[in-house]
Amino acid sequence: MSNAHTAAAVGLASCHLCCKLSPAHLQHCPRCGSRLHLRTEESLQRTLALLVTACVLYIPANLYPIMYTEHLGAPTEASTILGGILLLIELGSIPIALVIFLFSVIVPSGKLMVLFYLCWSVHNHQVMDAKQRSQIYRVTEFIGKWSMIDVFVVAILAALVHLGDLMVIRPGVAAISFAGVVIVTMIAAECFDSRLIWDNAEQDQREH
Amino acid sequence: MSTSISTATSTRTRKASGSTTPEDSAARRVDETGADLACPGCDLLVNVAGLHDGESAACPRCGHTLTRYRADASSRTLAFTVAALILLVIANSFSFLSFSAGGLENQMTLGQTPGTLFEYGMPSAAFIVGAFIIFIPAGVLVMMVGLCIPLLQQRYYPWLRTLAKGIFLAQNWAMVEVFIIGVIVALVKIAAMATVYLGVSFWAYVAFAICFTLAVASLDRYQCWQQIEALESMQ
Repeated sequence: MSNAHTAAAVGLASCHLCCKLSPAHLQHCPRCGSRLHLRTEESLQRTLALLVTACVLYIPANLYPIMYTEHLGAPTEASTILGGILLLIELGSIPIALVIFLFSVIVPSGKLMVLFYLCWSVHNHQVMDAKQRSQIYRVTEFIGKWSMIDVFVVAILAALVHLGDLMVIRPGVAAISFAGVVIVTMIAAECFDSRLIWDNAEQDQREH
Repeated sequence: MSTSISTATSTRTRKASGSTTPEDSAARRVDETGADLACPGCDLLVNVAGLHDGESAACPRCGHTLTRYRADASSRTLAFTVAALILLVIANSFSFLSFSAGGLENQMTLGQTPGTLFEYGMPSAAFIVGAFIIFIPAGVLVMMVGLCIPLLQQRYYPWLRTLAKGIFLAQNWAMVEVFIIGVIVALVKIAAMATVYLGVSFWAYVAFAICFTLAVASLDRYQCWQQIEALESMQ
């Protein structure tokens, strides 16, 4: 669509919290009092900073055990995220292994890659269809919190399984770093301003 | 049902005059565009006036769902909210799951999910889990009751804005549906080793999650703020 009219083009800022349109020179939204910006301030830098943080947290989340299982007499078994998935496959629980693989491996790493790509694409005026990119962004934003499944599984198992000496499940330190990865990437997705994708597209159209 | 809408501004022209103060001309610009809101996804100005009951509007450029109008939104939200609050109290009062193996049995309540993490020396994880599955959803529900009753009574109080702000900031951080999937995965994981019984609280939590999701979905951000603004101007 050429010549699309955006709020920013006519000097209006849309409040991110209550959707009210206000003159862009105002500091705060007259309706709800939130800070007003034409675009999220330093969107790309903030998103990238959070993405790097998430990448750092992702290392201990995968290297350290997410939970310990103690059976009577047997030595304590420590399982990492990937180890847990392999164990499930060995036990024959393929569907559950797939669910955990999807939400604990594919989703967090996919989300990091997509957000890195989106930041890069905005910075370099990438040509890929703006509509497709904003759809990818919306999926990323929506699916983020589902990665918390593994952390909840560990919390439930730890609370449920402590039968004296017979069998005990304890949470591992990776649960905290993994929860950190999920939370930080959720904030990163919120910081990324998808309107930048469209600003780019418009600017390119004007130049051609 | 979804109606496609067009940009309100495409046929109108701007008449910004240089003689007025910036405030005046900017305020006039808001009216002149004839647009109700800018798409949060792509900033396109759109006009969403004239939606009928049950209809929703999507951005014609990027496809983002903008708003959904329901004539009975406040009473729907209140109904689901009250139901969810009652179910949450039930979910916290009884046995959530119980587990037995080799003649030994262990029972857990919902509160023990974050509680055990705390006992194992992980207060941060306990705090995160407790917030996502109990405290944030409960806070959102209490705020929604406080918001919906005055909206239904057509009364304006200045704190309505604070409540609405709190609700829309916090609602993305409730993970009740994620937690249920987590419970199911955990059950399947240990089903081979022991017998697991689902308690009253588990079913109450499932019902709570459904009511919570419906309550949050019934409260439309744009319509809710329009209503608050309308009530204020009636004062």
